[in-house]
Amino acid sequence: MLSRRGFVKVSAASVASLALRPFGLLPALAQSGSSDYRALVCVFLFGGNDSNNMVVPVDDTNFRAYSSIRGSLALTAAELTPTVYAATGNAPYAFHGDLAELASMFSNKELAVVANVGSLLQPTTRAQYQAQQSLPLNLFSHSDQQLQWQTSVASGHSATGWAGRAADLIASQNSSNFPTFLSVAGNSLMGTGVSTQPVALNPGQSLDLKGFNGSAASNARLNALENLLTLETGLKLVQASNAVLSDSIADAKALDAALSKATPLKTTFPKTGLGAQLQQVAQIIQVRDGLGMSRQIFFASLGGFDTHTVELETHRQLYPQLSQALAAFSNALVELGVENNVTTFTESDFSRTFQPTTGDGSDHAWGSHHLVMGGAVKGGDIYGQFPTFVLGGPNDTDTRGRWIPTIAIDQYGATLCKWFGIPVSSLSSVFPNFTNFGAQTLSFLG
Amino acid sequence: MRICSFLVVTVWLAAGLSHAQSGLSHRAANRVLEQATWGPTQTPSQILESQGFDAWFSSQITAPISTYPDQPQYNSQGKSNTNLAPIQVLFFQNALNGPDQLRQRVAFALSEIWVISELEVNNASAFPPLLRIFENDAFGNYEQLMKDVTLNAGMGNFLNMVNNDKANVAKGTSPNENYGREIMQLFTLGLAQLNTDGTPVLDGSGNTVPTYTQNDVGAISAAFTGWTYAPMPGFVTTGHNRAYFIPPMVPVETNHDMTAKTILGVKLPGGQTAEEDLASTLHIIFMQPSLPPFICQQLIEHLVTSNPSPAYVSRVATVFENNGSGVRGDLKAVIYAILTDPEARAGDTADTGDATFGHMREPVLLIANLLRGLNGTVSSTSLVANAATNLGQQLFYPPSVFSYFSPAYRTSVGLVGPEFQIYSTQTSANRADTVNSVVYGGQLDAGTKFDISSFTAAATNNTTLINLINSVFFHSDMSSNVQTAITQALAPLTAASDKAKAALYVALTSGEYQIIH
Repeated sequence: MLSRRGFVKVSAASVASLALRPFGLLPALAQSGSSDYRALVCVFLFGGNDSNNMVVPVDDTNFRAYSSIRGSLALTAAELTPTVYAATGNAPYAFHGDLAELASMFSNKELAVVANVGSLLQPTTRAQYQAQQSLPLNLFSHSDQQLQWQTSVASGHSATGWAGRAADLIASQNSSNFPTFLSVAGNSLMGTGVSTQPVALNPGQSLDLKGFNGSAASNARLNALENLLTLETGLKLVQASNAVLSDSIADAKALDAALSKATPLKTTFPKTGLGAQLQQVAQIIQVRDGLGMSRQIFFASLGGFDTHTVELETHRQLYPQLSQALAAFSNALVELGVENNVTTFTESDFSRTFQPTTGDGSDHAWGSHHLVMGGAVKGGDIYGQFPTFVLGGPNDTDTRGRWIPTIAIDQYGATLCKWFGIPVSSLSSVFPNFTNFGAQTLSFLG
Repeated sequence: MRICSFLVVTVWLAAGLSHAQSGLSHRAANRVLEQATWGPTQTPSQILESQGFDAWFSSQITAPISTYPDQPQYNSQGKSNTNLAPIQVLFFQNALNGPDQLRQRVAFALSEIWVISELEVNNASAFPPLLRIFENDAFGNYEQLMKDVTLNAGMGNFLNMVNNDKANVAKGTSPNENYGREIMQLFTLGLAQLNTDGTPVLDGSGNTVPTYTQNDVGAISAAFTGWTYAPMPGFVTTGHNRAYFIPPMVPVETNHDMTAKTILGVKLPGGQTAEEDLASTLHIIFMQPSLPPFICQQLIEHLVTSNPSPAYVSRVATVFENNGSGVRGDLKAVIYAILTDPEARAGDTADTGDATFGHMREPVLLIANLLRGLNGTVSSTSLVANAATNLGQQLFYPPSVFSYFSPAYRTSVGLVGPEFQIYSTQTSANRADTVNSVVYGGQLDAGTKFDISSFTAAATNNTTLINLINSVFFHSDMSSNVQTAITQALAPLTAASDKAKAALYVALTSGEYQIIH
């Protein structure tokens, strides 16, 4: 079968002659228990989340600088959550007022903040930036920075994503060949590995092909369709197309078999796009044993963060969706008894200029604060350093508050992957620049 | 048309066609229709098959434009009118019935480069004016298109150029950089400097060379300050006019940054008006050497093939640079060059063995092609756009300015395949289900019907049926694999209508049909 599963790098000419797995799930081996289950869940905030307003340091010095420089974008104390205190050093912070659920998870030590993370080739200073030395390719470009967050390859284009490479290394721990990476937000390079090809499932939809009823005529037509997918063709894009549908048919059978045993979740999810996505993820996690999965990576997303103007209004629409969906997901994981087995984290193109635009928004910047949630997370703390709130200061690329990251995506991702079960010795094969940062993971996970 | 006559002789000779002005074979004609229209119908194109490409091309240039009427800005409750359904329906009706097929395809391609999205604009009245620009400028000059779209109020809203004021030192604010950045990154130049053949310019160390710097983004953003919505009828311009999407934006000089600027190495003097800075800036961008290959490569990808050879891009970009009469940016000449290029026409007579050729039918194109090939009808209450949404392409609602898919997206076989970005395990299954609804249900919804009776009539004989499907949907080049598969599906069937449905299902779910080639 012209499936992408497992032979992506095989040349087109040799594809047809390979012994390919048949449509449908291979017999699952003895199921692994959930005690060994681990999942990573990425929530990608498309458009470039202005994390300067997601979490705000509220000590006098920082809050004065924040209020003064951010001007029309500055949140007042009334627009922030009650103060929370970082476990280390007890410094006061507050979340955007529409992130109340996240603030309370922070207080309960179920959620941590990782400060000023971004794409880097090596530790980078303002002087090095201004000399344009060893910088990631195409900073401030949405498409490039989205891909760099997904690939952890800052120097250029990559055919694989970091989650896909991690999945390549860990897929053998799953007892079926259902894809380790599942997206509920469409195709994503993040989950493409050398041997890993993601499965995409729309929330509430099925991969089942409609119109087949098991009659002889129906079976003949289905066989015709499936046979055609296995045949060599002159055009590579036809093969690429066949491969996607082949995967879909194979994955549909596995999903159907597993989801038929699912029971409705008691947790109520918000009726939003992200709520539906995370509900679908929770439902898949529920049937992990039926799918034969002990290691999974999920991809969900929320868009609309490109706030060049009227940012405060936009955040008032988006942040409640983020906060409520994450809270519901957290509750569902508790319901499923896997709250310590699942770690959820954010990614985003970049953060935005600390200095506002004339239209009460902010422009593309670089380093961004991120959220990590789950029972395994050493929550209630801030990891890394917030930038110094001075335009043209030591953390700024120029004079608009485009913060130079002080933690690399490689470190952030490697910390997640180490917890996930990637051997420490393999982390630098997943994150090629990890060694440029001393091969040091962060301490927000054990 | 002097240039066209010249081109047609040389190009068509190069393609091995000795009688440039004579009619095309059915295979060649339907390949043209697959590349350059919303798809063949069951009625062969008389003009292509009797008079040839040039006569067809001329007729397409002069065909009446299938236009879009303005929509109300407010609904009956006085709120923003967010009902785009009438325009979505009209889009498919135009695709199904409009005589200006080539213009519509080029306009659609341009709309996927110069993107706005209802997700952010939230007003249906923003779309008809912009769609008309794409149609009116489809065979015009690219610099005119740049000006028209830049001043379009929907674009002004979407990329925040409207009411973007010069920096305010007292408040510590800067003009926003959204339009200034994306016009270069997405609409004209791309990120890396290109050679005429679309390959990246490399420096001495083998690295790509950026087309612009962050300073250029800031300078262009300043040059584009000082524009607001046109005043609504009965109002005067006050500085920041309320949203009004139908006329182009108007300048407000007090909000315009009049300082001197340096843009892509060219100095603009201080004291220029908003209009002067805008015209100067657009001209500087228009004259950049990366623009012709950047735009031509994307137009080729939309119409002909996802992986054009550098030589193909170069031939088309050279026409963009100079149409033969000294004009840069003549889109009519560019489209002509794209469609008559030997690489586009190489499959007209026989398979070429070029394994990299072709591009995937994006969902909108798939549905339009099914409507045309299966005698479809789209009523005013049709929900046809929902079918494209279900395949990952919500018409007029792309997720961002980066459109529905990236021109650089790569498939699992390593080739560029932009449309594959929205072709997932989910949407591939949904695509087969769409064919199932069309063929077995006869409709996508109560307002979107299909008529397969001519295929049923042909189904008294398997070969006749396969030949008809081959003629309409495979430019008479269906592989033996697909023919065999159809025959296999027909074996248990006796009723003609069952045979027609099964044959169409297998044919239209095949990979060979998904890839226009």
